[in-house]
Amino acid sequence: MWREIGDREAGKIRPNSFSNRVKRNRIQSLQLSNHKDIVSSHRGSVNCLQVDLTEGRYLLSGASDASVAVYDVQRATEYDGCGVIAKHKCLFVVDKTHESGHQFAVSSAVWYPVDTGLFVTGSYDHHVNVWDTNTTQVVANFKMPGKVYRTAMSSLATSHMLIAVGTEDVQVRLCDIASGALSHTLSGHRDGVMTVEWSNTNEWVLITGGCDGAIRFWDIRRAGCFLVLDQSQSQLGRRPPVLERSATNKVSTSKSSSPSPNLPAKARAAQRKLANGSSMKQSTMAKIHTKGPPRQRLHPGMLSAQDRATAHYGAVTGLKVTEDGMHLLSAGGFGDIFVINRHIERYILRHVQDVQYNCPVEQKSVMIVSRSDSRLRLWDIDSGRNTLVNFETVRLQTSKPLQLATCQNSALVFVPCMTTAKAFDMWSGRTAMTFRGHYEYVNCCCFSFLDQELYTGGNDRQILVWSPSSLVYDEMDEGPNPDQDNWSD
Amino acid sequence: MLDVPIYGRIATLELFRPHGETQDLLFIATERYKFCVLQWDAETSELITRAMGDVSDRIGRPTDNGQVVYCQCFHCVLIIGIIDPDCRLIGLHLYDGLFKVIPFDNKGQLKEAFNIRLEELQVLDIKFLYGCLKPTIVVLYQDNKDARHVKTYEVSLKDKDFVEGPWSQNNLDNGAALLIPVPPPLCGVLIIGEETIVYCSANAFKAIPIKPSITRAYGRVDADGSRYLLGDYNGLLQLLVITHEREKVTGLKIELLGDTSIASTISYLDNAVVFIGSSYGDSQLIKLNMQPDAKGSYVEVLERYVNLGPIVDFCVVDLERQGQGQVVTCSGAYKDGSLRVVRNGIGINEQASVELQGIKGMWSLRSSTDDPFDTFLVVSFISETRILAMNLEDELEETEIEGFYSEVQTLFCHDAVYNQLVQVTSSSVRLVSSITRELKNEWAAPSGYSINVATANATQVLLATGGGHLVYLEIGDGVLTEVKHAQLEYDVSCLDINPIGENPNYSHLAAVGMWTDISVQIFSLPDLNLITREPLGGEIIPRSVLLCAFEGISYLLCALGDGHLLNFLLNTSTGELTDRKKISLGTQPITLRTFSSKSTTHVFAASDRPTVIYSSNKKMLYSNVNLKEVSHMCPFNSAAFPDSLAIAKEGELTIGTIDDIQKLHIRSILLGEHARRICHQEQSRTFAICSIKYNQSGGDESEMHLIRLLDDQTFDIVSTYSLDTFEYGCSILSCSFSDDSSVYYCVGTAYGRILVFMVEDGKLQLVAEKETKGAVYSLNAFNGKLLAAINQKIQLYKWMLRDDGSRELQSECGHHGHILALYVQTRGDFIVVGDLMKSISLLIYKHEEGAIEERARDYNANWMSAVEILDDDIYLGAENSFNIFTVRKNSEGATDEERGRLDVVGEYHLGEFINRFRHGSLVMRLPDSDVGQIPTAIFGSVNGVIGVIASLPHEQYVFLEKLQTSLRKVIKGVGGLSHEQWRSFNNEKKTVEAKNFLDGDLIESFLDLNRSKMDEISKQMGVSVEELCKRVEELTRLH
Repeated sequence: MWREIGDREAGKIRPNSFSNRVKRNRIQSLQLSNHKDIVSSHRGSVNCLQVDLTEGRYLLSGASDASVAVYDVQRATEYDGCGVIAKHKCLFVVDKTHESGHQFAVSSAVWYPVDTGLFVTGSYDHHVNVWDTNTTQVVANFKMPGKVYRTAMSSLATSHMLIAVGTEDVQVRLCDIASGALSHTLSGHRDGVMTVEWSNTNEWVLITGGCDGAIRFWDIRRAGCFLVLDQSQSQLGRRPPVLERSATNKVSTSKSSSPSPNLPAKARAAQRKLANGSSMKQSTMAKIHTKGPPRQRLHPGMLSAQDRATAHYGAVTGLKVTEDGMHLLSAGGFGDIFVINRHIERYILRHVQDVQYNCPVEQKSVMIVSRSDSRLRLWDIDSGRNTLVNFETVRLQTSKPLQLATCQNSALVFVPCMTTAKAFDMWSGRTAMTFRGHYEYVNCCCFSFLDQELYTGGNDRQILVWSPSSLVYDEMDEGPNPDQDNWSD
Repeated sequence: MLDVPIYGRIATLELFRPHGETQDLLFIATERYKFCVLQWDAETSELITRAMGDVSDRIGRPTDNGQVVYCQCFHCVLIIGIIDPDCRLIGLHLYDGLFKVIPFDNKGQLKEAFNIRLEELQVLDIKFLYGCLKPTIVVLYQDNKDARHVKTYEVSLKDKDFVEGPWSQNNLDNGAALLIPVPPPLCGVLIIGEETIVYCSANAFKAIPIKPSITRAYGRVDADGSRYLLGDYNGLLQLLVITHEREKVTGLKIELLGDTSIASTISYLDNAVVFIGSSYGDSQLIKLNMQPDAKGSYVEVLERYVNLGPIVDFCVVDLERQGQGQVVTCSGAYKDGSLRVVRNGIGINEQASVELQGIKGMWSLRSSTDDPFDTFLVVSFISETRILAMNLEDELEETEIEGFYSEVQTLFCHDAVYNQLVQVTSSSVRLVSSITRELKNEWAAPSGYSINVATANATQVLLATGGGHLVYLEIGDGVLTEVKHAQLEYDVSCLDINPIGENPNYSHLAAVGMWTDISVQIFSLPDLNLITREPLGGEIIPRSVLLCAFEGISYLLCALGDGHLLNFLLNTSTGELTDRKKISLGTQPITLRTFSSKSTTHVFAASDRPTVIYSSNKKMLYSNVNLKEVSHMCPFNSAAFPDSLAIAKEGELTIGTIDDIQKLHIRSILLGEHARRICHQEQSRTFAICSIKYNQSGGDESEMHLIRLLDDQTFDIVSTYSLDTFEYGCSILSCSFSDDSSVYYCVGTAYGRILVFMVEDGKLQLVAEKETKGAVYSLNAFNGKLLAAINQKIQLYKWMLRDDGSRELQSECGHHGHILALYVQTRGDFIVVGDLMKSISLLIYKHEEGAIEERARDYNANWMSAVEILDDDIYLGAENSFNIFTVRKNSEGATDEERGRLDVVGEYHLGEFINRFRHGSLVMRLPDSDVGQIPTAIFGSVNGVIGVIASLPHEQYVFLEKLQTSLRKVIKGVGGLSHEQWRSFNNEKKTVEAKNFLDGDLIESFLDLNRSKMDEISKQMGVSVEELCKRVEELTRLH
């Protein structure tokens, strides 16, 4: 670490690459925090977590016991263990006992992006509530036609204050805090909508993922969705080669001076060879970054082929736009995970194609059967194509919305994978880290970029803090250290 | 030479010539994503903004390898002479994964930019290829297996997208980092790696191995692109030659030329002259010789240009004990490491001095007109005149000039033509032979009138007697002739006939300062006609006038009795005075005198704040002289003391030489190793530094970590202590402990040790040693104890006496809870910590409990680079994105939450990466002046900038802020860049307007404005120009 600080001092590395490098190193060393504890006040599974966008200080959590709580993650409420372990108790909790609290599980809780004066919760009791943080009073309330799965607000928006709501219903609803009324309904999905996400480059663009397996892009100023992601449309061959010359120079390549024989495994590097003729379609594809001028609205009839496109087989349970706004991660799959009692030996599979029997988790008599088709996909937002990054096989909960988190700096995506959370490399799809600590399913991941900390919430009612190992600096000076993770099962 | 401020950190600078232009245009992009295209207007010598804009995007993440903007202008070069005018564009790589294209239209104007997706994840370099039909880029990138490849893309302007280019090359050198496009006729690209250099084009591939090195800069030698200069990280300069037969490349050759500063840019100028721009050492102008010198080097250094950067640490000391700070910096890196002593103002190097009280005037005289040196020094007192001369032993001794009248005060003396000397006393003018020293002629004042003031040059004498008589005499061979006499309305207070025309012995103009009506008048000579009368305003009489010329421009300087100086542009043919400016130099009457240094004429203004007035780039500049009070000065260029000045001050006559006439004086002490930390110890009169010595023996590179002790006068290394391998010294401190009168040097290392040294007989003696759990980033003396910042922890150590009489450090208490406590400052019991990424926190040491507790913190996520305590409540910080900010302790907060929060009060984008703040000042503080009370801090930055941050009183801040606002409207930024935007606090998270900080450079540029713009500002402000000038000048005196 000293060497890096010295290099920054002497101008050998630029300050921003210094900070990026330090962040990356810290993120690589994420482990269950030995100095920070969030004392969960929830008596039900934790469904969602969000750190406020202004100060990165207040963590909002929503849980199945219909409670919502806020924790200060910067300033501990008390210290334990000779002042080394910082305990963070909640600043306040709103639960069923509150006069206008939710009645059923809180599935979604998000901060108002501009300041921490407001937050929004969505619940299985069909309500979306907007709260004043200081008084913990409801200032707006929206009634939905079914269970609310997800709510989202745009962090960019300067000209609207809309909450996008995904519910059991096929329609996505936009609730306007300013007027206190529903402002839009977006129709297109054929099943409930588990996940909604605003674009982080355009305040008018909303992305929704439904139980019908579709991911739809909406420009809320216009009717209809303008893009439906299609898992079969890949990035490959998007750029046509210059035909006449490409063949001749291949000869020289073999003379390359470098000894490294590794061929780049990345799919994107090999695109040149695979011109599949799909390049013609790109011109019809709407581009998201072109703002302003009216893009060609597709007639519903013409749309039909595209409109049926799916991003996942089964439900889309999680969406996350990368911080640079160029890629979209989606989690989805169908089939459910069943916990089977061997004595009963009876289970139902709705869409089963292949079934995996897996090791028992807690009790010998119980086993988990999961569908193999739960996947993560990485999409190029600009072209709307599947990048075909092959994420390692994972098992995901598919009955519940999942909250993904990304860290662009390290090109990582944090995904709740059953009882663990995993970090995948965004470009190779490989598992970079596995976070084992929850006793039951993990529902949500929230990454705090300011502190390089990961917060996870699970069915075990815990909120766990994964923080960079505080010894990382000494280790860095003394060379690589073996993995110190001693959490094993 | 023209230098202009640019409101931004320049990310790229590129010359290009669009179709149909007769001269190149300059493209500048700033790190905050602004760009502009500038054109040089030769007629007005100004920069014209041709185009400007913003290239920022919401999409994308700034490129990691430092927001490096790759830019190049594509010039379509066709073999057949049709130039497709559409094929011109500027390419920028600003964000990961995006390539921005700004096309030109066929009139050479910029069109709307668009982005193209770059799918390569880690782009290392992008360049345009020459000789392609369509604009083609070559991209050097690294894949996620860390292998490096290049590929080419054609830019299709029609589709606003890339088309796969003509060739690609996989698996290059793992250190490949630089692309050099080769111009026609060869075309293609050179790929510079750490172990190989590759030439690559659509139909050729040539590679040569090189000695492992990292190439930092290149410069093209020939227009046909067959030779290149490469500069590496060790400062070796190599020549790369592409051998070719006609247009076919046959191979590559590389040759070592020699050593230079570590180059960051190389520009081949012409005739084997090369400019080496360096950010780690001095920039150089070098010549490449045909034959190697004795050491085998082809490089000959013609000139060096001082560069202080990177300033990693510095200390402020007063070595001469004059009450004026000097900055000693750790500058440079690697082999170019050095210490630099930076001093403000012009110094006088004393050669000789005699005690003499009550000097009223001084003049130097030559023994003959042709003598190049002065022989006599005439010193006038209230009732006598004494003459000093250099004797044969080069000593100054008293002598006599028989022809001079020595029992009275001399009013003026001068050399005259025909080997004569002139002496003016109150009763007469005496003409004396400088050879025989006998009186040749005398002109007596009319009876009843005594001469009050007089002046003379080699052929003329002008004097004034009481009653407003002005008498003009001319000097002949042995005769004084009264040519003209004039009766003026009032008495004359001062006179000057310094020749500024073609004839160095004769002036056509005389300047006269008047009592009573407070004016200055210009008379023509020899007829004494009044041609200009300029009332000065106010009630203070002019005490000294001077006609002078700088760089071919004539001025009239007029000094008033209250320390103000007026200057006018003087039209020598009409005598007209224009462009009046008034500045304040001191508070006492000023005497003006010209002198020469390095064959340029300057003006010395003797007063309580002596100043040298000189001119640079046709701009009048004022630089203070590092002396307390000077009553009289005269040049004294004797054989023994060439180019010296005789200076009369406080009962003393001093003869000394003067420094180069410039504002800052920098002395370089080249170390050949990289000094990282410095501190000064008053008691032992030494500096101690932590440094790294890089050894390169036979390809092996190793580092040695050293503690060096240097003498604070000679800067000789007097003692060295070697640390272990890899044991970086990260902090150094000179301190003493309670119950121990000795003074120690404490050194903290990255290894986890604190070493305590004592200086004995000029040697470093290790007294004690303490292991720590981590790197010691900072050391501070704290309540007679030692406060160390060790990784996450702040740790306090006591200095304990052991039974055997030896001493040791014993830990007392500590405070956890930082990510990395890098920078620590203390004041009383308060400790201010600058964290790696968590801004500033305030701790307090509780004596009773013997514990350190956190009192408050700033919850912003600032990545710190330096902190300083400005006063009890305000703390200053510098952060990673080139911003500075202040936070305030909120002890009156109503709630715990409020008290526990440091409020951000000031924010400002400095545009410099600050490594260190120190209290202190570079100027001499005069206790009686207002500015003497303003506390200042000095900072040093990576780019080698030394700056001053002053805490202004509120009233002054408000006033100057208003002035700054007005100036922003009047002074337009080059390239249309906005000052307001440039100074707004900006980091990854937020951009907010600057507050509670003012840009002193902008405010001081008020003094350079022409009169009409000053008037405009004066009108906006509702304050007179004079008052504005005065307030701004006060400010300039802070630095």
